[in-house]
Amino acid sequence: MAISGWFVALLGFGVVPIILTGSEWMLPAWVGFVLVLAAVDLALAGSPRALNLSRDLPARVRLGETVQSTLYLRNDGRRGVRGQVRDAWQPSAGAHPTRQDIDLPAGERRAIITQLTPVRRGERRAAHVTVRSFGPLRIAARQATIAEPGAIRVLPPFNSRKHLPSRLAKLRELDGRTSVMIRGQGTEFDSLREYVRGDDVRSIDWRATARATDPSGAQKLMVRTWRPERDRRVVIVIDSGRTSAARIAGEPRIDTAFESALLLAALATRAGDRVDLVIYDRLVRGRVQGASGPELLSRMVNTMAPIDPQLYELDWAAVPGLVRSVTSHHALVVLATSIDTAGSSRGLLSVLPQLTQRHTVVVSSVTDPSVLDASRERGSRDEVYRAAAAERALLDSARVSAAIRQLGAEVVTGAPADLPPTLADRYIALKAAGRL
Amino acid sequence: MASIALLVVLVTLLITRAGSVTGDPLSPTNAAPVGAMAVAEVLADQGVTVTPTGSLGETSDAASGADEPTIFIVDADDTLVGSQLDDIAADAGHLVLMSPGFGLLDGFAPEIALAGSVSGVLDADCAVGAVDRAQSVLGDGTGYRLVGDAPDAIECLDSGDDVFSLIQLQRDGYLLTVIGTWDAFSNERVAEEGNAALALNLLGGADDLIWYEPSIEDSLVPGAPTVGELTPVWVSAALVTLLLAFIAAAIWRGRRFGPLVVENLPVTVRASETMEGRARLYQSSSARTHAIDTLRIGTVDRIARLCGLPRLATVEEVTATASSITGTDRGRVHALLLGDVPSSDRELVALSDALLQLERRVAHAVDPTSRATTTETPFSESTEETTR
Repeated sequence: MAISGWFVALLGFGVVPIILTGSEWMLPAWVGFVLVLAAVDLALAGSPRALNLSRDLPARVRLGETVQSTLYLRNDGRRGVRGQVRDAWQPSAGAHPTRQDIDLPAGERRAIITQLTPVRRGERRAAHVTVRSFGPLRIAARQATIAEPGAIRVLPPFNSRKHLPSRLAKLRELDGRTSVMIRGQGTEFDSLREYVRGDDVRSIDWRATARATDPSGAQKLMVRTWRPERDRRVVIVIDSGRTSAARIAGEPRIDTAFESALLLAALATRAGDRVDLVIYDRLVRGRVQGASGPELLSRMVNTMAPIDPQLYELDWAAVPGLVRSVTSHHALVVLATSIDTAGSSRGLLSVLPQLTQRHTVVVSSVTDPSVLDASRERGSRDEVYRAAAAERALLDSARVSAAIRQLGAEVVTGAPADLPPTLADRYIALKAAGRL
Repeated sequence: MASIALLVVLVTLLITRAGSVTGDPLSPTNAAPVGAMAVAEVLADQGVTVTPTGSLGETSDAASGADEPTIFIVDADDTLVGSQLDDIAADAGHLVLMSPGFGLLDGFAPEIALAGSVSGVLDADCAVGAVDRAQSVLGDGTGYRLVGDAPDAIECLDSGDDVFSLIQLQRDGYLLTVIGTWDAFSNERVAEEGNAALALNLLGGADDLIWYEPSIEDSLVPGAPTVGELTPVWVSAALVTLLLAFIAAAIWRGRRFGPLVVENLPVTVRASETMEGRARLYQSSSARTHAIDTLRIGTVDRIARLCGLPRLATVEEVTATASSITGTDRGRVHALLLGDVPSSDRELVALSDALLQLERRVAHAVDPTSRATTTETPFSESTEETTR
């Protein structure tokens, strides 16, 4: 049950007859009159429990986009329902408007449309629908909360997809290069063509030249061309442990890792490589294997959407086994984690040799641009101490990076906005060098 | 000053003590000068049962329980009206009214009227025993005059102009005495003249004396109207209505539109918090050497990178390279990169500034076109400015 502002106004209006009559009996009489009116109104209100609810929801939405959630209400009761409806979403679902007026005669059906603009990744839920049904006098209302769960999966935004066209163009440039530019064990023979000025003389194929004669009889100089090899494996391991919850420039590390992984996966699957994703702390939180093409990306975002960092430290000892369970062949292993201090990276450093033995390993980590800025600001005493602390942080991560490089792995660091394209560039460079 | 203070204290004490010992005038339990405990005590010693009462009901009960008692009514505040006395008068043997006011006389003894105040010593001049035995009485108090037709009235203590301080009337079944000599009954004055004889004889005529001092509860006369009586009936009703409307408004606005939906909130930890914490730690412990060393390591690393030195180059090598590139004195660069120990925060700030400037000069020397150096002030100029 609920009352409206009209009830309050009507009750307050009782002052007028009380003053006019000057009788002490007017007060109980007026209160009684208002209460009777409210009771009558309440009795005449349509029952909100008689409503039949159903939802029509899109299954997923990318973070930052807006979707429509439709709630259908069918009135199975004998009386019409007039009043307000609240479709109760979690605050982070960004529902608007939160309450809407409804006039639903008996036996009819109406749709309530709510715009959802989620502000957080993950599963956003609606728990129930509350209906407030006023009587004909609009004094009092019947109110009921009806459980009508609904959920929408909010996918990572994949903002870094804007970098994809330029990286794909770079990738295409790799095709048809001569061997000197891209010599390595991972390159494949592509074709033979005639020598043009600028080609490396070392790539001239003399046997092919011997065979190649023009119909006119002129000798042609043939060179071999190469293309980057295909069907390599890329294994992305994302750290969903404690340190991934830390925010850099307002974005959790794990979100940056997701962005990088999505860009890398989009690029690698176009380049013909097979991408597998594992999100791990002490348990495997998400795993995408054996998908390719557009399905890969959709499965990846779906897997990533509900995953939040856990309170555990990543169990590095299990990572080599995890990679082995994905592929037994040589692969590019991308570890998206954080390298802050030697102490917290000890686990990573201890298992890196096992990984670098078989695979090409890239450790990708987000760096905090504010730390770099802080190391340059030395105006006051406070800032100098801050700069010293920032310098210490930079030195620590530089030491860890050096240690990782010594163990044979590559390090990619960057600010949250820069890390995904930097990682993509490193992938292209590795591919060009035939190290995949 | 001290004597003035003492005087003030004394005066204050006197005033407050004088006020505090006053008590009820002519009360049988009041031993103060204005009280009448002396009379009551002496009467009790003489075998008279003195019953002090404070209300009409109490007096009525006491009177009906005694055999023709003397009822002494001391109505100092003119609380009673005459008609209230009819009830107790029926049980009384002798009713003595001490200085009754207009209200009391008007209803109970209309033949007696107030005749202003009286002062001075009055001589006995009538056959009433008590007055006769007193011979002379202090008359300070109220005088009365007989106005109605009362043939059996005895008027005593004449102060001239038909004003008497004691008038006695024989009523149906009891004797009524109206007496105005207030001061004569008080502890302070009762021993003067024949006051004691008047008081004791007048009140000690029967075995029982009921000493009635009316209290405010006995008053029939309404006081000033209260705010509640002055306000119209509808005001409180209207206020209650508004209060109810207020409560209803609270319910209207406070009624929840269904329960909230629970949400797990993410942790919000800034990654730079460790850095900030470490900075505060350095500062609170004044770890100047530690701080400047960290800054130096960073600077040396960057200079080495700028100059193309290997990663494992020593500080000496870096110092030599930097001083030769920038044309600065080698000892000065060495002191900057290694030697100087800051002894105060001011020196620390100065050192860190110098480190930054050295870095800029090296960067400028290595690559004169680099964007970072175009906006910077050259080293020498800024030092000139600081010395100026």
